[in-house]
Amino acid sequence: MDVVLLFGLIIGMLLIGVPIAVSLGLSSMIFLIAFSDTSLGSVAQSLYQAMAGHYTLLAIPFFVLASTFMSTGGVAKRIIRFSIACVGHLQGGLAIAGVLACMMFAALSGSSPATVVAIGSIVIAAMRQVGYTKEFAAGVICNAGTLGILIPPSIVMVVYASATDVSVGRMFLAGVIPGILAGTMLMVAIYIMARIKNMPKGEWQGWGEIFASFKDAVWGLMLIVIIMGGIYGHPWYSFTDGVIWSPGAFTPTEAAAVASVYAFIVATFIYRDMGPLYQGEGNAPLSLFQNPQALIIGWFHRDTMKALFEGGKLTITLMFIIANALILKHVLTDEQIPQHIAEAMLGAGMGPVMFLIVVNVILLIGGQFMEPSGLIVIVAPLVFPIAISLGIDPIHLGIIMVVNMEIGMITPPVGLNLFVTSGVAGMPMMDVVRAALPFLGVLFIFLIMITYIPVISTYLPNTFMGPEIIIQ
Amino acid sequence: MSGTQDAPSSRFGRFISHIEETFIATLLGLMVMVTFANVVLRYAFGSSLLWGLEVVLILFAWLVLFGISYGFKITAHLGVDAIINMVGSKLRKSLVMLSAILCIAYGGLMLKGAWDFWAPFGGAQQTTGRVIPTGFNEKTRNQAWYETDQVPIPFGRTFLENTFNDGDEYEKIPRFIPYFILPFGVALMLLRIVQATIAIARGQRSSMIVSHEAEEAVADVAHMNKDA
Repeated sequence: MDVVLLFGLIIGMLLIGVPIAVSLGLSSMIFLIAFSDTSLGSVAQSLYQAMAGHYTLLAIPFFVLASTFMSTGGVAKRIIRFSIACVGHLQGGLAIAGVLACMMFAALSGSSPATVVAIGSIVIAAMRQVGYTKEFAAGVICNAGTLGILIPPSIVMVVYASATDVSVGRMFLAGVIPGILAGTMLMVAIYIMARIKNMPKGEWQGWGEIFASFKDAVWGLMLIVIIMGGIYGHPWYSFTDGVIWSPGAFTPTEAAAVASVYAFIVATFIYRDMGPLYQGEGNAPLSLFQNPQALIIGWFHRDTMKALFEGGKLTITLMFIIANALILKHVLTDEQIPQHIAEAMLGAGMGPVMFLIVVNVILLIGGQFMEPSGLIVIVAPLVFPIAISLGIDPIHLGIIMVVNMEIGMITPPVGLNLFVTSGVAGMPMMDVVRAALPFLGVLFIFLIMITYIPVISTYLPNTFMGPEIIIQ
Repeated sequence: MSGTQDAPSSRFGRFISHIEETFIATLLGLMVMVTFANVVLRYAFGSSLLWGLEVVLILFAWLVLFGISYGFKITAHLGVDAIINMVGSKLRKSLVMLSAILCIAYGGLMLKGAWDFWAPFGGAQQTTGRVIPTGFNEKTRNQAWYETDQVPIPFGRTFLENTFNDGDEYEKIPRFIPYFILPFGVALMLLRIVQATIAIARGQRSSMIVSHEAEEAVADVAHMNKDA
């Protein structure tokens, strides 16, 4: 009963426009004051320890920063050029290229709105120019942008791993096949629609353009290699043994830090879209020989500080929510709520199928109101013990939750990506909702596949890292 | 959409904003560089900075706890604005006002908690009372001798020892230094919340929240798809 009151408080506060973090934190404090003898001092301690005590969460600021450097214009443009060169000549090619570009950008950044803004702003305008309707363009990007949290690296996965003590490396690996699958399903759906409605197709620009655009985009795409190769290992040449497989050398947190330094170097010294060598839109950037002092200045340049500040700001808003969600999590575990719910559900004879449906429904509703990472911190500890006793793989559960978040982002009335797309495309919310609907159907089929075919998510991590061992 | 980002008008206001922004950027930059340096050291020299991880985690806590107040100042915190955008302007204002008051309650409770947590480490007195501070507890046990695990003291060791530890030796940085961000950051947060509430009451500000993290970025690119 107390718990119903607690969640009632949270939802009530959310609806009247209290910041998410404050709703979670204040409700928890009120609950603690009324029903337990925990002191406010220990609540404040949880707030501090949310950052200082969670090594895994440290990956968040670093991935956010890497994606901030990557979002400064140039990388998105280059990826889009490469995508168009690859698939632009198909019927509906520009739309398919948009999905492909979203997939690649998702592999550089950990967030969906960032993907929609970076790719959407360019692709939607380009699609309208060659004769697609604005609605179709917005619907495509709105859906493809959700891949940002499914294709690694993903901030939501880092949060899930931290909340349930599974390995971030496993989660990232588990997201690869589902991410590619979802992207492919979207592309196929677009191709079929394009054939039926006879949508425009681009011109085949030849292998030369594919090669040239790849060469241009490769510095950005290398980031994927650094992250994945750093975590899981990569081929290496040694003078004594020839080509060998060198095992992964970074933790995901370290990989994120290396990625952000790399992204900075690419943006400032190679692409030169920002920093001391940048000469304004349309002008050729200076070369390093013309301005060698840039090697020093670049690290403290106004643009660098601005990217650091933007990354810091986003980290702060995310971590404020996560830290307060952790306070709520403490309250729930102190009151043994997860155990009670588990008993009640298992006592009612709930099987894995029914349980997964319940998880889907809870997350689809919750995803309407909450920032994905905050929702994961709260829901994961509630459903995790039940999943374990039903024999569901924790990694599989994690991927299900991420896919649910994706769909929550594009489900009316308050899906996050709908807002972002309506802003980027300059069209009313309801039009975006209608435009996104056909593709939402595709993602729903995808969700059902992910939920009931566990091997899609577990194949890669189990093959490369051995089967998951559950320690309770 | 919602929230107003009022650029500070006065010179002093711009100066303060500049300090806050630089501090946030510097903390994040230091976190990256220390982590990166440790990776490089391990690869190239097989050694590492023992204190690296602990320092980065402390900087992480500083970044967020300091930045929360800035988030309230520029209306960057996320919330659900579906309902408040649906209702009429009168009801909207009272709902926003109510949410601002709840934020003040949050800030106040958290400030008491933060002080009570920090006080023993800083050699100060905790407050008495469970919810509302009623006075100071003179029997608070002084825990200023408590040190961090690895972080060395770069300078001012003697000063720290004489001022806080009765002249006893510190080998590492005492804990009250990293923990200090908790009462400091929360007090700053409460200040910013109160300022925001006043601005709302005066009608200079329309909300405590934004609906998604990319609102600013969306505004930057919105012109690309405007109908002519």
